[in-house]
Amino acid sequence: MRSSTSAPLVLPPLTEQDAVRSADRSRVHEARASGRRWPLLWLLVGPGILAMLGENDGPSMLAYASDGAQYGLGLFVPFLPALFALAFVVQEMAMRVGAVTHRGYGELVLQRYGSAWGWFAAADLTVTNLITLIAEFVAIRVGLAYFGLGAGFAVALGLAAVLFTFSGGRYWRWERIVLGLALFNGLFLVAALLSGSHLGAASSAGFSHLPGSVNTLLLLLASTIGATVTPWMIFFQQGASADKGMTPRDIREGRWDTAAGAVLATLFGLGALVAGAALLGHGGISAFSQAGFPGALGHVAGGAAASVFALGLIEAGAVAILTISASTAYAAAECVGVAHSFNSSPREAVLFYAADFGVAALAAVVILIPGAPLLSIALNANVLATVLLPVSLVFLIMLANDRGLMGRNANRRATNAVAIAVATLVGACGAAYGVDSFLQTIGVVGS
Amino acid sequence: MHLERDQFVAETSRPVARVSLTPFGRRGLWALRVFAVAVSGMVVYTFAAALH
Repeated sequence: MRSSTSAPLVLPPLTEQDAVRSADRSRVHEARASGRRWPLLWLLVGPGILAMLGENDGPSMLAYASDGAQYGLGLFVPFLPALFALAFVVQEMAMRVGAVTHRGYGELVLQRYGSAWGWFAAADLTVTNLITLIAEFVAIRVGLAYFGLGAGFAVALGLAAVLFTFSGGRYWRWERIVLGLALFNGLFLVAALLSGSHLGAASSAGFSHLPGSVNTLLLLLASTIGATVTPWMIFFQQGASADKGMTPRDIREGRWDTAAGAVLATLFGLGALVAGAALLGHGGISAFSQAGFPGALGHVAGGAAASVFALGLIEAGAVAILTISASTAYAAAECVGVAHSFNSSPREAVLFYAADFGVAALAAVVILIPGAPLLSIALNANVLATVLLPVSLVFLIMLANDRGLMGRNANRRATNAVAIAVATLVGACGAAYGVDSFLQTIGVVGS
Repeated sequence: MHLERDQFVAETSRPVARVSLTPFGRRGLWALRVFAVAVSGMVVYTFAAALH
Protein backbone atom coordinates (compact mmCIF):
# COMPACT_ATOMS: atom_id res chain seq x y z
CA MET A 1 0.00 0.00 0.00
CA ARG A 2 1.88 3.04 -1.21
CA SER A 3 0.93 6.20 0.61
CA SER A 4 -0.17 9.23 -1.30
CA THR A 5 1.50 12.51 -0.37
CA SER A 6 -0.84 14.75 -2.34
CA ALA A 7 -3.82 16.36 -0.56
CA PRO A 8 -7.00 14.31 -0.91
CA LEU A 9 -9.86 15.93 -2.78
CA VAL A 10 -12.59 14.17 -0.76
CA LEU A 11 -11.95 13.21 2.84
CA PRO A 12 -13.13 9.82 4.12
CA PRO A 13 -15.57 9.92 7.07
CA LEU A 14 -13.80 11.17 10.19
CA THR A 15 -13.60 9.32 13.50
CA GLU A 16 -12.49 10.60 16.89
CA GLN A 17 -9.29 8.55 16.40
CA ASP A 18 -8.54 10.39 13.14
CA ALA A 19 -9.05 13.78 14.80
CA VAL A 20 -6.67 12.99 17.69
CA ARG A 21 -4.01 11.51 15.39
CA SER A 22 -4.30 14.47 13.04
CA ALA A 23 -3.64 16.89 15.93
CA ASP A 24 -0.43 15.00 16.74
CA ARG A 25 0.59 14.93 13.09
CA SER A 26 0.08 18.69 12.76
CA ARG A 27 2.97 19.23 15.19
CA VAL A 28 5.16 16.89 13.14
CA HIS A 29 4.29 18.83 9.97
CA GLU A 30 5.12 22.15 11.66
CA ALA A 31 8.46 20.89 12.98
CA ARG A 32 9.39 19.46 9.57
CA ALA A 33 8.29 22.58 7.71
CA SER A 34 10.35 24.83 9.99
CA GLY A 35 13.41 22.60 9.51
CA ARG A 36 13.81 22.05 13.28
CA ARG A 37 15.49 18.65 13.44
CA TRP A 38 15.58 18.00 17.19
CA PRO A 39 11.94 18.92 17.86
CA LEU A 40 10.99 16.69 14.92
CA LEU A 41 13.00 13.83 16.35
CA TRP A 42 11.47 14.42 19.79
CA LEU A 43 7.98 14.15 18.31
CA LEU A 44 8.77 10.97 16.39
CA VAL A 45 10.77 8.95 18.92
CA GLY A 46 8.89 6.46 21.06
CA PRO A 47 8.02 3.06 19.58
CA GLY A 48 11.67 2.06 18.99
CA ILE A 49 12.95 3.09 22.42
CA LEU A 50 9.93 1.52 24.11
CA ALA A 51 10.30 -1.79 22.25
CA MET A 52 14.01 -2.04 23.10
CA LEU A 53 13.80 -0.85 26.72
CA GLY A 54 10.59 -2.85 27.20
CA GLU A 55 12.61 -5.93 26.30
CA ASN A 56 15.18 -4.99 28.97
CA ASP A 57 12.48 -6.38 31.23
CA GLY A 58 12.56 -8.09 34.61
CA PRO A 59 13.43 -11.63 33.43
CA SER A 60 15.99 -10.30 30.93
CA MET A 61 17.77 -8.19 33.53
CA LEU A 62 17.72 -11.09 35.99
CA ALA A 63 19.07 -13.34 33.20
CA TYR A 64 21.93 -10.90 32.42
CA ALA A 65 22.73 -10.53 36.13
CA SER A 66 22.62 -14.31 36.56
CA ASP A 67 24.91 -14.75 33.51
CA GLY A 68 27.36 -12.27 35.04
CA ALA A 69 27.21 -14.02 38.44
CA GLN A 70 27.78 -17.44 36.88
CA TYR A 71 30.06 -16.86 33.90
CA GLY A 72 31.65 -13.41 34.35
CA LEU A 73 31.92 -10.81 31.62
CA GLY A 74 33.97 -12.68 28.98
CA LEU A 75 31.34 -13.91 26.51
CA PHE A 76 28.61 -11.40 27.17
CA VAL A 77 30.35 -8.04 26.76
CA PRO A 78 30.69 -8.59 22.98
CA PHE A 79 27.59 -10.84 22.71
CA LEU A 80 25.03 -8.35 24.02
CA PRO A 81 25.86 -5.48 21.61
CA ALA A 82 25.84 -7.99 18.73
CA LEU A 83 22.39 -9.25 19.75
CA PHE A 84 20.96 -5.74 20.04
CA ALA A 85 22.41 -4.95 16.60
CA LEU A 86 20.39 -7.91 15.29
CA ALA A 87 17.35 -6.65 17.22
CA PHE A 88 17.78 -3.29 15.46
CA VAL A 89 17.53 -4.97 12.04
CA VAL A 90 14.31 -6.75 13.05
CA GLN A 91 12.69 -3.76 14.75
CA GLU A 92 13.57 -1.38 11.91
CA MET A 93 11.61 -3.64 9.56
CA ALA A 94 8.61 -3.62 11.94
CA MET A 95 8.72 0.19 12.17
CA ARG A 96 9.01 0.54 8.38
CA VAL A 97 6.10 -1.80 7.66
CA GLY A 98 3.93 0.05 10.23
CA ALA A 99 4.85 3.49 8.84
CA VAL A 100 4.20 2.52 5.21
CA THR A 101 1.03 0.44 5.62
CA HIS A 102 -0.45 2.19 8.72
CA ARG A 103 -1.47 -1.26 9.90
CA GLY A 104 -0.40 -3.55 12.70
CA TYR A 105 1.46 -6.82 12.24
CA GLY A 106 -1.46 -9.08 13.27
CA GLU A 107 -3.97 -7.60 10.85
CA LEU A 108 -1.51 -7.61 7.94
CA VAL A 109 -0.60 -11.28 8.44
CA LEU A 110 -4.28 -12.18 8.80
CA GLN A 111 -5.39 -10.25 5.70
CA ARG A 112 -2.40 -11.03 3.48
CA TYR A 113 -1.82 -14.70 4.34
CA GLY A 114 -5.21 -15.83 5.65
CA SER A 115 -6.96 -16.00 9.00
CA ALA A 116 -5.34 -19.30 10.03
CA TRP A 117 -1.90 -17.70 9.99
CA GLY A 118 -3.13 -14.49 11.60
CA TRP A 119 -4.71 -16.36 14.49
CA PHE A 120 -1.71 -18.68 14.79
CA ALA A 121 0.57 -15.64 15.16
CA ALA A 122 -1.81 -14.00 17.65
CA ALA A 123 -2.17 -17.21 19.70
CA ASP A 124 1.61 -17.72 19.68
CA LEU A 125 2.02 -14.14 20.92
CA THR A 126 -0.65 -14.41 23.60
CA VAL A 127 0.92 -17.55 25.11
CA THR A 128 4.44 -16.10 25.23
CA ASN A 129 3.12 -12.74 26.46
CA LEU A 130 1.14 -14.32 29.28
CA ILE A 131 4.18 -16.31 30.46
CA THR A 132 6.43 -13.25 30.12
CA LEU A 133 3.95 -11.07 32.03
CA ILE A 134 3.94 -13.58 34.90
CA ALA A 135 7.72 -13.25 34.90
CA GLU A 136 7.39 -9.42 35.00
CA PHE A 137 5.25 -9.59 38.13
CA VAL A 138 7.83 -11.98 39.59
CA ALA A 139 10.56 -9.42 38.89
CA ILE A 140 8.55 -6.63 40.55
CA ARG A 141 7.96 -8.95 43.50
CA VAL A 142 11.69 -9.72 43.78
CA GLY A 143 12.48 -5.99 43.71
CA LEU A 144 9.80 -5.10 46.25
CA ALA A 145 10.77 -7.99 48.53
CA TYR A 146 14.12 -6.26 49.09
CA PHE A 147 12.16 -3.38 50.65
CA GLY A 148 10.00 -5.77 52.68
CA LEU A 149 6.89 -5.52 50.47
CA GLY A 150 4.89 -8.56 49.34
CA ALA A 151 3.20 -10.06 46.27
CA GLY A 152 -0.06 -8.16 46.82
CA PHE A 153 1.78 -4.87 46.53
CA ALA A 154 3.49 -6.06 43.30
CA VAL A 155 0.11 -6.93 41.78
CA ALA A 156 -1.45 -3.61 42.82
CA LEU A 157 1.51 -1.63 41.46
CA GLY A 158 1.57 -3.40 38.08
CA LEU A 159 -2.18 -3.15 37.49
CA ALA A 160 -2.35 0.47 38.70
CA ALA A 161 0.35 1.35 36.17
CA VAL A 162 -1.72 -0.19 33.34
CA LEU A 163 -4.87 1.68 34.40
CA PHE A 164 -3.01 4.98 34.87
CA THR A 165 -1.66 4.96 31.31
CA PHE A 166 -5.20 4.51 29.93
CA SER A 167 -6.26 7.94 31.16
CA GLY A 168 -6.57 10.46 28.37
CA GLY A 169 -7.57 8.27 25.42
CA ARG A 170 -4.54 9.38 23.47
CA TYR A 171 -1.56 7.46 22.09
CA TRP A 172 0.81 10.39 22.64
CA ARG A 173 0.01 10.57 26.35
CA TRP A 174 0.34 6.78 26.79
CA GLU A 175 3.68 6.78 24.96
CA ARG A 176 5.18 9.69 26.92
CA ILE A 177 4.20 8.24 30.31
CA VAL A 178 5.78 4.87 29.46
CA LEU A 179 8.81 6.55 27.87
CA GLY A 180 9.41 8.59 31.04
CA LEU A 181 9.20 5.45 33.13
CA ALA A 182 11.42 3.46 30.72
CA LEU A 183 14.35 5.85 31.11
CA PHE A 184 14.70 4.62 34.70
CA ASN A 185 16.06 1.42 33.12
CA GLY A 186 19.30 3.41 33.50
CA LEU A 187 19.23 2.43 37.19
CA PHE A 188 21.02 -0.76 36.13
CA LEU A 189 23.92 1.34 34.90
CA VAL A 190 24.03 3.07 38.31
CA ALA A 191 23.97 -0.35 40.01
CA ALA A 192 26.90 -1.41 37.81
CA LEU A 193 28.90 1.69 38.77
CA LEU A 194 28.20 1.06 42.45
CA SER A 195 29.23 -2.61 42.10
CA GLY A 196 32.16 -2.02 39.74
CA SER A 197 34.86 -1.91 42.38
CA HIS A 198 33.75 -5.35 43.63
CA LEU A 199 34.16 -7.13 40.31
CA GLY A 200 37.36 -8.94 41.32
CA ALA A 201 37.55 -12.29 39.52
CA ALA A 202 34.84 -11.38 36.99
CA SER A 203 36.88 -8.72 35.22
CA SER A 204 39.67 -11.19 34.47
CA ALA A 205 37.53 -14.32 34.06
CA GLY A 206 37.57 -14.25 30.24
CA PHE A 207 35.89 -17.35 28.81
CA SER A 208 37.08 -19.72 31.56
CA HIS A 209 33.72 -19.82 33.37
CA LEU A 210 31.61 -20.86 30.38
CA PRO A 211 29.45 -23.98 30.87
CA GLY A 212 30.97 -27.33 29.93
CA SER A 213 27.62 -28.99 29.11
CA VAL A 214 26.25 -28.42 25.60
CA ASN A 215 22.66 -28.26 26.89
CA THR A 216 23.52 -25.57 29.44
CA LEU A 217 25.34 -23.56 26.77
CA LEU A 218 22.31 -23.91 24.44
CA LEU A 219 19.98 -22.82 27.24
CA LEU A 220 22.23 -19.84 27.86
CA LEU A 221 22.25 -18.85 24.18
CA ALA A 222 18.50 -19.41 23.74
CA SER A 223 17.57 -17.44 26.86
CA THR A 224 19.97 -14.58 26.02
CA ILE A 225 18.62 -14.34 22.46
CA GLY A 226 15.10 -14.47 23.94
CA ALA A 227 16.09 -11.57 26.18
CA THR A 228 16.86 -9.30 23.20
CA VAL A 229 14.52 -10.20 20.30
CA THR A 230 10.96 -11.44 20.92
CA PRO A 231 7.63 -11.73 19.08
CA TRP A 232 5.91 -9.08 21.21
CA MET A 233 8.48 -6.45 20.14
CA ILE A 234 7.50 -6.96 16.49
CA PHE A 235 3.76 -6.69 17.18
CA PHE A 236 4.32 -3.71 19.46
CA GLN A 237 6.61 -1.59 17.30
CA GLN A 238 4.61 -2.09 14.12
CA GLY A 239 1.29 -1.43 15.91
CA ALA A 240 2.65 1.58 17.82
CA SER A 241 4.24 3.09 14.69
CA ALA A 242 0.88 2.89 12.92
CA ASP A 243 -0.98 4.15 16.00
CA LYS A 244 1.42 7.09 16.32
CA GLY A 245 0.58 8.01 12.73
CA MET A 246 4.06 7.56 11.27
CA THR A 247 4.35 7.78 7.49
CA PRO A 248 7.06 6.85 4.97
CA ARG A 249 8.50 10.38 5.41
CA ASP A 250 9.21 9.54 9.08
CA ILE A 251 11.22 6.38 8.40
CA ARG A 252 14.56 8.13 8.89
CA GLU A 253 13.53 9.40 12.35
CA GLY A 254 12.06 5.97 13.08
CA ARG A 255 15.48 4.45 12.41
CA TRP A 256 17.10 6.91 14.83
CA ASP A 257 14.47 6.04 17.42
CA THR A 258 15.13 2.31 17.01
CA ALA A 259 18.92 2.81 17.05
CA ALA A 260 18.71 4.95 20.20
CA GLY A 261 16.63 2.22 21.83
CA ALA A 262 19.19 -0.44 20.86
CA VAL A 263 22.12 1.60 22.25
CA LEU A 264 20.33 2.40 25.52
CA ALA A 265 19.17 -1.20 25.94
CA THR A 266 22.73 -2.48 25.35
CA LEU A 267 24.21 -0.08 27.91
CA PHE A 268 21.60 -0.84 30.55
CA GLY A 269 21.77 -4.59 29.85
CA LEU A 270 25.54 -4.47 30.29
CA GLY A 271 24.86 -2.61 33.55
CA ALA A 272 22.83 -5.57 34.87
CA LEU A 273 25.54 -7.97 33.67
CA VAL A 274 28.33 -6.04 35.42
CA ALA A 275 26.28 -5.72 38.61
CA GLY A 276 25.71 -9.49 38.54
CA ALA A 277 29.39 -10.18 37.87
CA ALA A 278 30.22 -8.71 41.28
CA LEU A 279 28.91 -12.01 42.70
CA LEU A 280 31.39 -14.16 40.75
CA GLY A 281 33.76 -15.56 43.35
CA HIS A 282 31.31 -14.60 46.14
CA GLY A 283 28.89 -17.51 45.84
CA GLY A 284 27.84 -16.71 42.26
CA ILE A 285 24.54 -18.19 41.17
CA SER A 286 23.95 -20.05 44.44
CA ALA A 287 24.09 -16.78 46.40
CA PHE A 288 21.66 -15.37 43.81
CA SER A 289 19.21 -18.25 44.30
CA GLN A 290 19.33 -18.27 48.08
CA ALA A 291 19.07 -14.56 48.88
CA GLY A 292 17.31 -13.17 45.79
CA PHE A 293 19.52 -11.06 43.58
CA PRO A 294 19.31 -7.68 45.36
CA GLY A 295 19.94 -9.36 48.72
CA ALA A 296 22.98 -11.25 47.41
CA LEU A 297 24.33 -8.10 45.76
CA GLY A 298 23.86 -6.20 49.01
CA HIS A 299 26.20 -8.60 50.84
CA VAL A 300 28.98 -8.02 48.30
CA ALA A 301 28.58 -4.48 46.95
CA GLY A 302 26.63 -2.76 49.71
CA GLY A 303 23.08 -1.59 50.36
CA ALA A 304 23.14 1.27 47.83
CA ALA A 305 23.92 -1.01 44.86
CA ALA A 306 21.31 -3.52 46.03
CA SER A 307 18.60 -0.85 46.50
CA VAL A 308 19.26 0.64 43.06
CA PHE A 309 19.18 -2.82 41.47
CA ALA A 310 15.90 -3.63 43.27
CA LEU A 311 14.36 -0.34 42.06
CA GLY A 312 15.59 -1.17 38.55
CA LEU A 313 13.82 -4.54 38.68
CA ILE A 314 10.57 -2.86 39.71
CA GLU A 315 10.90 -0.37 36.82
CA ALA A 316 11.86 -3.04 34.28
CA GLY A 317 8.88 -5.20 35.26
CA ALA A 318 6.43 -2.27 35.24
CA VAL A 319 7.49 -0.94 31.81
CA ALA A 320 7.38 -4.42 30.31
CA ILE A 321 3.88 -4.99 31.73
CA LEU A 322 2.76 -1.82 29.92
CA THR A 323 4.40 -2.59 26.57
CA ILE A 324 3.73 -6.34 26.49
CA SER A 325 0.07 -5.85 27.47
CA ALA A 326 -0.19 -3.24 24.71
CA SER A 327 1.22 -5.68 22.14
CA THR A 328 -1.36 -8.29 23.22
CA ALA A 329 -4.12 -5.71 22.89
CA TYR A 330 -2.96 -4.67 19.39
CA ALA A 331 -2.81 -8.34 18.30
CA ALA A 332 -6.21 -9.32 19.73
CA ALA A 333 -8.14 -6.31 18.44
CA GLU A 334 -6.40 -6.38 15.02
CA CYS A 335 -7.28 -10.03 14.49
CA VAL A 336 -10.91 -9.54 15.56
CA GLY A 337 -11.06 -6.45 13.34
CA VAL A 338 -12.21 -3.89 15.91
CA ALA A 339 -10.74 -0.52 17.02
CA HIS A 340 -7.12 -0.96 18.15
CA SER A 341 -5.70 2.39 19.12
CA PHE A 342 -4.77 4.32 22.24
CA ASN A 343 -6.26 7.28 20.33
CA SER A 344 -9.68 5.70 20.87
CA SER A 345 -11.51 6.02 24.17
CA PRO A 346 -12.12 2.83 26.21
CA ARG A 347 -15.79 3.12 25.21
CA GLU A 348 -14.90 3.02 21.49
CA ALA A 349 -12.27 0.29 21.78
CA VAL A 350 -13.66 -2.01 24.47
CA LEU A 351 -11.85 -5.17 23.33
CA PHE A 352 -8.52 -3.37 22.90
CA TYR A 353 -8.49 -1.97 26.43
CA ALA A 354 -10.03 -5.14 27.90
CA ALA A 355 -7.27 -7.28 26.34
CA ASP A 356 -4.61 -4.85 27.56
CA PHE A 357 -5.82 -4.94 31.16
CA GLY A 358 -7.10 -8.53 31.07
CA VAL A 359 -3.81 -10.20 30.11
CA ALA A 360 -1.97 -8.23 32.82
CA ALA A 361 -4.65 -9.14 35.40
CA LEU A 362 -4.48 -12.84 34.43
CA ALA A 363 -0.70 -12.86 34.92
CA ALA A 364 -1.13 -11.05 38.24
CA VAL A 365 -3.53 -13.75 39.48
CA VAL A 366 -0.93 -16.46 38.80
CA ILE A 367 1.69 -14.88 41.05
CA LEU A 368 -0.81 -14.82 43.90
CA ILE A 369 -1.30 -18.61 43.70
CA PRO A 370 0.51 -20.17 46.68
CA GLY A 371 3.29 -22.54 45.58
CA ALA A 372 3.22 -21.55 41.89
CA PRO A 373 6.63 -22.31 40.27
CA LEU A 374 7.42 -18.64 39.69
CA LEU A 375 11.20 -18.91 39.39
CA SER A 376 10.94 -21.67 36.78
CA ILE A 377 8.38 -19.65 34.83
CA ALA A 378 10.63 -16.57 34.92
CA LEU A 379 13.66 -18.53 33.68
CA ASN A 380 11.73 -20.32 30.90
CA ALA A 381 9.85 -17.28 29.57
CA ASN A 382 12.75 -16.13 27.39
CA VAL A 383 13.39 -19.65 26.05
CA LEU A 384 9.80 -20.08 24.88
CA ALA A 385 9.95 -16.64 23.23
CA THR A 386 13.07 -17.76 21.31
CA VAL A 387 11.37 -20.97 20.15
CA LEU A 388 8.32 -19.12 18.81
CA LEU A 389 10.24 -16.16 17.35
CA PRO A 390 11.08 -17.70 13.91
CA VAL A 391 7.38 -17.72 12.93
CA SER A 392 7.03 -13.99 13.64
CA LEU A 393 10.35 -13.23 11.93
CA VAL A 394 9.51 -15.11 8.73
CA PHE A 395 6.21 -13.26 8.33
CA LEU A 396 7.86 -9.92 9.09
CA ILE A 397 10.48 -10.56 6.40
CA MET A 398 7.74 -11.54 3.94
CA LEU A 399 5.75 -8.38 4.71
CA ALA A 400 8.81 -6.14 4.46
CA ASN A 401 9.58 -7.67 1.04
CA ASP A 402 6.01 -7.36 -0.24
CA ARG A 403 6.31 -4.72 -2.97
CA GLY A 404 2.53 -4.56 -3.31
CA LEU A 405 2.40 -3.23 0.24
CA MET A 406 5.77 -1.55 0.66
CA GLY A 407 6.54 -0.15 -2.79
CA ARG A 408 10.00 1.43 -2.88
CA ASN A 409 10.31 0.99 0.92
CA ALA A 410 10.57 -2.79 0.59
CA ASN A 411 13.64 -4.53 2.03
CA ARG A 412 16.96 -4.21 0.30
CA ARG A 413 19.18 -7.22 -0.32
CA ALA A 414 21.54 -6.49 2.61
CA THR A 415 18.63 -6.16 5.07
CA ASN A 416 17.25 -9.48 3.84
CA ALA A 417 20.61 -11.19 4.25
CA VAL A 418 20.89 -10.09 7.89
CA ALA A 419 17.20 -10.74 8.65
CA ILE A 420 17.33 -14.27 7.21
CA ALA A 421 20.55 -14.94 9.16
CA VAL A 422 18.81 -13.80 12.38
CA ALA A 423 15.78 -16.04 11.72
CA THR A 424 18.06 -19.01 10.99
CA LEU A 425 20.22 -18.41 14.09
CA VAL A 426 17.21 -18.02 16.36
CA GLY A 427 15.48 -21.08 14.88
CA ALA A 428 18.62 -23.21 15.20
CA CYS A 429 19.30 -22.19 18.83
CA GLY A 430 15.68 -22.68 19.87
CA ALA A 431 15.37 -26.03 18.10
CA ALA A 432 18.73 -27.33 19.37
CA TYR A 433 17.81 -26.49 22.96
CA GLY A 434 14.23 -27.79 22.64
CA VAL A 435 15.25 -31.12 21.07
CA ASP A 436 18.28 -31.69 23.32
CA SER A 437 16.31 -30.97 26.52
CA PHE A 438 13.43 -33.16 25.39
CA LEU A 439 15.70 -36.10 24.55
CA GLN A 440 17.39 -35.75 27.95
CA THR A 441 14.02 -35.60 29.73
CA ILE A 442 12.75 -38.79 28.11
CA GLY A 443 16.12 -40.46 28.72
CA VAL A 444 17.22 -40.97 25.12
CA VAL A 445 20.50 -39.08 25.67
CA GLY A 446 22.43 -38.50 28.88
CA SER A 447 22.84 -35.04 30.43
CA MET B 1 -6.39 17.53 8.29
CA HIS B 2 -2.79 16.39 8.66
CA LEU B 3 -3.30 12.73 7.82
CA GLU B 4 -2.44 11.03 4.58
CA ARG B 5 -5.43 9.57 2.84
CA ASP B 6 -4.53 5.95 3.62
CA GLN B 7 -4.13 6.78 7.33
CA PHE B 8 -7.82 7.42 7.98
CA VAL B 9 -9.63 4.75 9.97
CA ALA B 10 -12.09 4.37 7.08
CA GLU B 11 -9.16 3.41 4.82
CA THR B 12 -7.23 1.20 7.25
CA SER B 13 -10.43 -0.69 8.09
CA ARG B 14 -10.57 -1.89 4.49
CA PRO B 15 -8.65 -5.20 4.29
CA VAL B 16 -5.64 -5.51 2.01
CA ALA B 17 -5.83 -8.10 -0.76
CA ARG B 18 -4.77 -11.63 0.08
CA VAL B 19 -1.55 -12.75 -1.57
CA SER B 20 -1.44 -16.08 -3.39
CA LEU B 21 1.48 -18.21 -2.26
CA THR B 22 3.44 -20.49 -4.55
CA PRO B 23 3.28 -24.23 -3.72
CA PHE B 24 6.87 -23.94 -2.46
CA GLY B 25 5.94 -21.00 -0.22
CA ARG B 26 2.89 -22.83 1.11
CA ARG B 27 4.94 -25.93 1.94
CA GLY B 28 7.57 -23.73 3.62
CA LEU B 29 4.99 -22.07 5.83
CA TRP B 30 3.49 -25.42 6.80
CA ALA B 31 6.96 -26.67 7.73
CA LEU B 32 7.36 -23.55 9.87
CA ARG B 33 4.05 -24.20 11.61
CA VAL B 34 5.00 -27.83 12.34
CA PHE B 35 8.42 -26.68 13.58
CA ALA B 36 6.94 -24.10 15.97
CA VAL B 37 4.32 -26.45 17.40
CA ALA B 38 6.74 -29.39 17.77
CA VAL B 39 9.59 -27.45 19.41
CA SER B 40 7.20 -25.52 21.69
CA GLY B 41 5.68 -28.82 22.75
CA MET B 42 9.13 -30.18 23.61
CA VAL B 43 10.02 -27.06 25.65
CA VAL B 44 6.69 -27.12 27.53
CA TYR B 45 7.04 -30.88 28.21
CA THR B 46 10.59 -30.40 29.51
CA PHE B 47 9.42 -27.50 31.69
CA ALA B 48 6.50 -29.53 33.08
CA ALA B 49 8.71 -32.58 33.71
CA ALA B 50 11.24 -30.42 35.57
CA LEU B 51 8.52 -29.26 37.97
CA HIS B 52 7.86 -32.81 39.19
